[in-house]
Amino acid sequence: MPQTTILAIESSCDDTGAAVIRNGRLLSNVVAGQAVHEQYGGVVPELASRAHQENIIPVVEAALNQAGVTLQELDAVACTRGPGLMGALLVGASFAKGLALCLDIPLLGINHMQAHILAHFIDEPKPAFPFLCLTVSGGHTQLVQLNSPSDFILLGQTRDDAAGEAFDKIGKLLGLPYPAGPVLDKLAQNGNPGRFDFPEPQVAGLDFSFSGLKTSVLYFLQAEIKQNPDFVQENLADLCAAVQHRIVQILLHKFKKAVQQTGITRLAIAGGVSANSGLRNGLLQLAESQGWQTFIPAFAYCTDNAGMVAMAAHFRYLAGDFDDQTLLPDPRLALTAT
Amino acid sequence: MKSTYDLSGPEDLAAAADWLLREAGDSKIWCIEGPMGVGKTTLIASVCSRLGVEDAVSSPTYGLVNEYRAGGQTVYHFDLYRLKSIGEALDMGIETYLDSGSLCLIEWPEIIQPLLPLAYLQITLRIFEDRTRQLICEHVC
Repeated sequence: MPQTTILAIESSCDDTGAAVIRNGRLLSNVVAGQAVHEQYGGVVPELASRAHQENIIPVVEAALNQAGVTLQELDAVACTRGPGLMGALLVGASFAKGLALCLDIPLLGINHMQAHILAHFIDEPKPAFPFLCLTVSGGHTQLVQLNSPSDFILLGQTRDDAAGEAFDKIGKLLGLPYPAGPVLDKLAQNGNPGRFDFPEPQVAGLDFSFSGLKTSVLYFLQAEIKQNPDFVQENLADLCAAVQHRIVQILLHKFKKAVQQTGITRLAIAGGVSANSGLRNGLLQLAESQGWQTFIPAFAYCTDNAGMVAMAAHFRYLAGDFDDQTLLPDPRLALTAT
Repeated sequence: MKSTYDLSGPEDLAAAADWLLREAGDSKIWCIEGPMGVGKTTLIASVCSRLGVEDAVSSPTYGLVNEYRAGGQTVYHFDLYRLKSIGEALDMGIETYLDSGSLCLIEWPEIIQPLLPLAYLQITLRIFEDRTRQLICEHVC
């Protein structure tokens, strides 16, 4: 069987990433700010296109070196087509197009949201089709049914804030540093989630809403602080636990509803918020009580990374579904588009 | 000159959006300020709906900017909350958007103050203890 070796580039938002995959097995997965920072010294700026321009060559070089693969061994080059920030996407796409042209190999423009879900196929255990995936991150909240590596059905998504953003912004109302998600999670583990009760928004179908929760926390704190200026400090752990509990319940209730609607009992989570302990434990408990299967990828494949883009590119390569030099990034690329 | 509009609840949002669009006139750059959770994104969703945007209007905090289509025109919806410096705003190409001639609705605009054109619309959303809200609109020039 011939070898299939693909270089993938991810530059949808803050981080620049590159990965090499061979026959569906990930050989390297580099994100700027980690390996590049260590290898090349100096400060790697966090944000967007100028940083991507500075990072992309060292990141690609590091990914090839770690994989022990030369440019001549590549069979295809992939990049994130969208969704994301236009300037950031353009850097990755321009680089990939140039490389594909000069090596005369196929080009693959990958959907970032599909890649998040296909990250489940990097390591064992891999879910069987069909399965449901909840993609939760700072920028996205989507509930998706996968029938195959190329057949995605969007069941629901957020109407306002993303779940990760809800953690970050409500944490900010509680005086936590931004981004507050990880700190809130840590504090919540020592709190009593039952001491305060924040209402669950009533949203029809499988869509999500988090901005009403943010406002109800704001109202609640305003009233309490009027009576006791130290209210937040004195009750911080319980407040964090209550907020975390509510956000997780909003997510899990829709997940449960999706199982009822589809009859599919294989449940996966993807995206950076997959690291939240409340969500992990809540999902595991729910699944265990119902006899459902759960899939949670390693954290390195949950946050934005090129490994997931490489995995998605591998499936597209097998399907013979290639792009050409007319490929354009699309900041608003829909889940079902490629 | 400042003008104000009082909202007693979410049912007033559509009328408030119409009022803002009238007040704005030709102004393409709207800076929208107000505390966390006051309803800035909800207000923008209402403005977009009045403009005929059919896409889902969601918070762009992570992605920094959302792009919507309304008929033939483009609307950019920014949330600059997580930017730490003006350099980061320049890195994302903020000037290209501000100079595009398209409507730019900007939440948390403080950090890009020096990059704003001479004339823009300053909108403040206030919340009172009884949970009613007030919009304050001012043409800065």
